Amino acid sequence: MNARETAWRVFAGELNSSSLEIKSEEEKSPSYLITPLGAKLNRILIAGVLLDKENTGTEEEPMWRGRIQDVSGNFFINVGRFQPNAAASMADLEAPSYVAVVGKVRTYTADDGRVFVTVRPETITNIDEKTRNLWVLEAAQSTWDRLVKMKDALRIQNAGKQDLVGKGFSPDDAEGIISALEHYGMPESAKYLKLIQNSLRMLLPDRNIDLGLPEDLADAPDEIVLGEDTGKGKEFLLSLLEEMDMGELGVSMEVILKKAAENGMTPEEVEEASDALMDDGLAYEPKVGFLKAI
Amino acid sequence: MDKEELTPHMEELKRVLEGKITEKELMEELDKYVNEYDVDVESAKRAIKRKFGGEESGFVTGDAVSKKIGDLTGNEPNVDITAKIVYVEKKQIRARGEDKTIISGILGDDTGTASFTIWSDGYELEKGSVYIFKNAYIKTWNDRVQVNMGNRGAVEKSDTKIEMPERSISYSSVESKIKDLKEGMGNVSVTGRVLSVEERKVNVKGEDKTVYSGLMADDTGKVQFSAWNDHGLKEGETILISNAYIRGWKGIPQLNIGDRSEVTRVDDPFGNTDLGTSSNKTLGEIAESGGGLDVGVSGLVVDLRGGSGLIFRCPQCNRSVLGGECANHGKIEPVHDLRMKIVLDDGTGAIGAVLNRELTEKLTGVTLENAVNLSKARGESGIIAREMAPRILMKRLAMRGNVMSDEYGPMMIVAEAETEEVDIETAATKLLDIVEEVL
Repeated sequence: MNARETAWRVFAGELNSSSLEIKSEEEKSPSYLITPLGAKLNRILIAGVLLDKENTGTEEEPMWRGRIQDVSGNFFINVGRFQPNAAASMADLEAPSYVAVVGKVRTYTADDGRVFVTVRPETITNIDEKTRNLWVLEAAQSTWDRLVKMKDALRIQNAGKQDLVGKGFSPDDAEGIISALEHYGMPESAKYLKLIQNSLRMLLPDRNIDLGLPEDLADAPDEIVLGEDTGKGKEFLLSLLEEMDMGELGVSMEVILKKAAENGMTPEEVEEASDALMDDGLAYEPKVGFLKAI
Repeated sequence: MDKEELTPHMEELKRVLEGKITEKELMEELDKYVNEYDVDVESAKRAIKRKFGGEESGFVTGDAVSKKIGDLTGNEPNVDITAKIVYVEKKQIRARGEDKTIISGILGDDTGTASFTIWSDGYELEKGSVYIFKNAYIKTWNDRVQVNMGNRGAVEKSDTKIEMPERSISYSSVESKIKDLKEGMGNVSVTGRVLSVEERKVNVKGEDKTVYSGLMADDTGKVQFSAWNDHGLKEGETILISNAYIRGWKGIPQLNIGDRSEVTRVDDPFGNTDLGTSSNKTLGEIAESGGGLDVGVSGLVVDLRGGSGLIFRCPQCNRSVLGGECANHGKIEPVHDLRMKIVLDDGTGAIGAVLNRELTEKLTGVTLENAVNLSKARGESGIIAREMAPRILMKRLAMRGNVMSDEYGPMMIVAEAETEEVDIETAATKLLDIVEEVL
């Protein structure tokens, strides 16, 4: 029996911090991405604001790319020619608008070893704000559940997969958690609590929600993806974006690179810092070659 | 190995060889193999069994070890098991695009029971007979061991007597709630209220038999049961069934009350709970068990599959047809119908679901009449599914129905469905309270 892969509700902040892929040895079996919180996912359900879309193919054979923003960062979607329904939806959609996407995760590894996660949509649906909020709620709940499971698993000393299964974890949860701990180490729980806090603030605007987390947490280095401290670069870049903002398009990369070079930053450092800002939901690309603070 | 270490092995051989050789001779044989010729004890035992006729010499044995069911760990690649057939059936399955017949069932010895699968239909196994399952490989599924026989395996009749102690009811019969019943379980105990029962005459291998079947429920769900003996079951009474075994029909677990099962009347622990209502399950629970009767689920519609929208049916057999031709009735004048095949996902699991015309009209607002007119105007019927998709995708539905499984996974035939409103503020506040309490 082939049960259909569950569509995990996961925030961009968690998805984009993932770099461990488990490829199946058997033919036709799915491969999985393990997130730092131990989700073993193949299919995901995401929702947010479609920021932009771009057809990199032809009119007859469109290849759509797009970016969807949630409370924690951006999802990158790539619609190929084998997803005609998703391609048709992309052609009709306007940016910005609320969308929900069900799709499979794909990864690719850059020359420098960094892993990028993209989403290959199966269905893309135009949704209203209420449905988007429902997704945020489900994703927050699901992130919280993973944090709690991770914490429960960490209470069991040196647990292996079988130990967790013996304690009532499902085999998939056990495998995800053990693989995540081996690969990423202890999860940065403050980062994920911040995601939950941000989503609850969005859903309950009248409540003064403060989970007691440091407010500047977004500037903390994201060690998992970048492997080095980009805090300074991000700070500089963010102030630059705010200073030089030219309106709708923000600041062109040309200008950014020039200013950054004057301050001793290499183009690679600029790229890392801008990726990190986008992951944190602090900046976005209104158009290729431009960056704008949010 | 000294005598003390050899004794348990000798005891094991004694059981298998059953008086064909005295205890003293056995000990001498073992001592010779193990201590004089330095043969490892498992090979020695096999050799002695063959030598004294406790086991036929089949060449396939290789270097398998013999084990009792209770000793199986779940990852033995090659093991011999001598066991009695508790239940056996042949099944049609589809594997890698080919139809195949396999033999599956439940086997047991004095230490426990396990389900087994033989990936061939080359054997005629009899319930109650003892066989040696040679070169089996063991896997676990849902935390229970499964005995598998592949190409290397062989099943041979054995004269060994196996007593599956009735006492095992007390210590190895696993108490289970109805929602946790899974195909292939043996030795389960279930407490439930009989919701309905009826007598049926069936013919089993040329013999007329009366089966008492019906529906029973506890506070977690409902299950169909079949009793092969007359236990005088009556509607409304609450019973404890010990040593039942679970078979599956298309993923729906069915409780079998067989010769070794016991039925006792017990006090009803469910109080005034109306067990006739459907029980709610997460889709993860359903995906794991494979099916269930009259279950309630809720989740988001994440896909509208092919075969949805305006379809055509044969007026004689009601099957859906393409191009005005029925596989059974040839050229026909098809009748129109509406249906949706959706995928419902709640984040813990996903199942397929089929919604009939009435439910499709209710949920999408597209009526059959509209659909027929629109498809005539456009000259194609595919437009209807495309019209429905944005009206149903990402909607939250609460549904009720029977769930069964095939090679595409679990699927609900939906009896009732409605859109479910979630009070986001209340739910978010609840989550906030939990998070704040833990931090």
